[in-house]
Amino acid sequence: MADKINIDVLTLDSVQCAACGYMMESIAALPSDVQEMIQYQEWSIKNKDGIGKFMELKGKVLPTICIERDLVFESIIPQYEELIDEMARRAPNDQMRDRIISLRGKGFEFDKIQENLAKAGSGMKTRTDS
Amino acid sequence: MAKQMLIDAYRGKRTAKAPWVPYAGVHCAFLIKEAADKFLQDPALLAKGIVETAKRYKADGIPLLFDLSVEANAVGCELKWWPDNVPSVTTHPCSGKTPADAGLTFPTKDSGRWPVIFEAAKIAKPQLEELDCALMGLFCGPLTLASHLAGVRIFTDVYKNKEFAAEVCKFAGEVGAISAQLYAEMGCDIIANVDPVASQIRPETFREYVKPNCEAATKVIHDAGLTSSFFICGDCTKVMEEVCQLGTHGFAIDEQLNMNFVRDMARKHNVGFGGNLKLTLALSLGLLSPREDAIVSLAAGGHIGYTFAPG
Repeated sequence: MADKINIDVLTLDSVQCAACGYMMESIAALPSDVQEMIQYQEWSIKNKDGIGKFMELKGKVLPTICIERDLVFESIIPQYEELIDEMARRAPNDQMRDRIISLRGKGFEFDKIQENLAKAGSGMKTRTDS
Repeated sequence: MAKQMLIDAYRGKRTAKAPWVPYAGVHCAFLIKEAADKFLQDPALLAKGIVETAKRYKADGIPLLFDLSVEANAVGCELKWWPDNVPSVTTHPCSGKTPADAGLTFPTKDSGRWPVIFEAAKIAKPQLEELDCALMGLFCGPLTLASHLAGVRIFTDVYKNKEFAAEVCKFAGEVGAISAQLYAEMGCDIIANVDPVASQIRPETFREYVKPNCEAATKVIHDAGLTSSFFICGDCTKVMEEVCQLGTHGFAIDEQLNMNFVRDMARKHNVGFGGNLKLTLALSLGLLSPREDAIVSLAAGGHIGYTFAPG
C-alpha cells in the first residue's frame, strides 16, 4: 500500500526470544500518530511463511527490522529517533515524511503496546505448523 | 552423563570429549505431555520434566528452567502465559519511573515463582545427582531485565537518558545477584547470567551498562565456589570481546555465530564456551541435517573448554 510505510520484523519468535520481542515492541510502542502511517508484521522463521519472507528480503541475522523492504536494523534494537528518521527517509510522499519528522520529539507510548502487538500478529505464528 | 566433565569444560579446561547440555526449557513440558504454562507453575511437573529430559537426552547438565520472566515477575511485571512457550512480560513498571519511584523492592525466596522453583529443585536435585547430571540455574541478565522493567525505551535511554538507564540497569543487576544467590542455595552446580538482548547494542553500551551490572552476580557465584557462565543470543559478534572479559568462567552463544571465531575468542581469553547446534535451521525446521550440523559444531569446538549445546 502506497499510503502506509511497510515494516517487516524478521524474528526467531517474539515470545521466546527477548531480543525479538523488544524489536517488535519498538514498533508497537510508536505513538498513535505514527501507528496511523505504518503497517507491520512479525515473520517468525519457525514457520514456512517466515522463512519465505526471510529469503525474499535477503535477511542475514535475526532479529531484523525491515522498512520498505530494506534491512535497516540488523541485531540492533533501535532508538526512537533512529526509527523515526529511517521511516521518514522511506516515506511514500513528502507530506508523510514531514508528518513523521514532526513526531521526532514525541517518544514511545506504552499504553497500547499489547493491542498493537496483537494487530501485528506478534507471537501468534511461532509454531512450525502455524 | 558426567557432571564434572561439564564443569571442567565450563571453566575452560581440557576434557576427554565435549560434554553436552540440552537447553530444553519448555520442550521438557512437551516431552512429558504437559502444557508449558502448567509445567512452569507446578514444582512436581517442573522436576519431572527436567529429570525425564536429562535421562532421554543423556545430558551432562540441564537448566532447572529457561524462563527469563521469573525475575521481572518477582518484582511486579505482569505476564501473559502461553501453552507452548515461556510467558511474555506485558507490563513495564519503570516505563515512566525509576525502580525507586515505582516502589520496586528486591525479591526474596518467597517472591513470585521462586517458591515453585525452590520446590522443583528440591525434588529434581537428588535424581539428577544419581544420573551424574549437573543442575543449572539460569537468571535474567541486567539489560534484558532492564528491558522488562522499562520497556523498549531503555534502548533509547542508554544514549539519551543515561542517569535513568543506569539506575534501572543497576537495580536489574542487583536482582540478578539475588537470583544467583537463590540458585546457589538450591544446590545448582552451574549458574548462568542470561542476557539475550545484550547482543543488540553497541560495544560501548555493553561496557557501560552490562559489564558493571554483572559483577555482583558473578561474585556471588564464585564466592559460593560454583561455576559461572554468561549466555547471549543473536548475532553478538560485535560484543564478543566484551563477553569474554566479563569475568565469568565462560559463555554460550547461539546459532548465528561462527564456531571457529567463537572458539578462537574463548581460547584467547582462556574461558569456556558452548554452542551452537542450529536450533532453528536444524532442530526446529530440519532444513539442515542435525547430525551433520552436530559434527560441524563438535569438530570446530574441540576438547578445550567446549560444551556441545543448542545455539
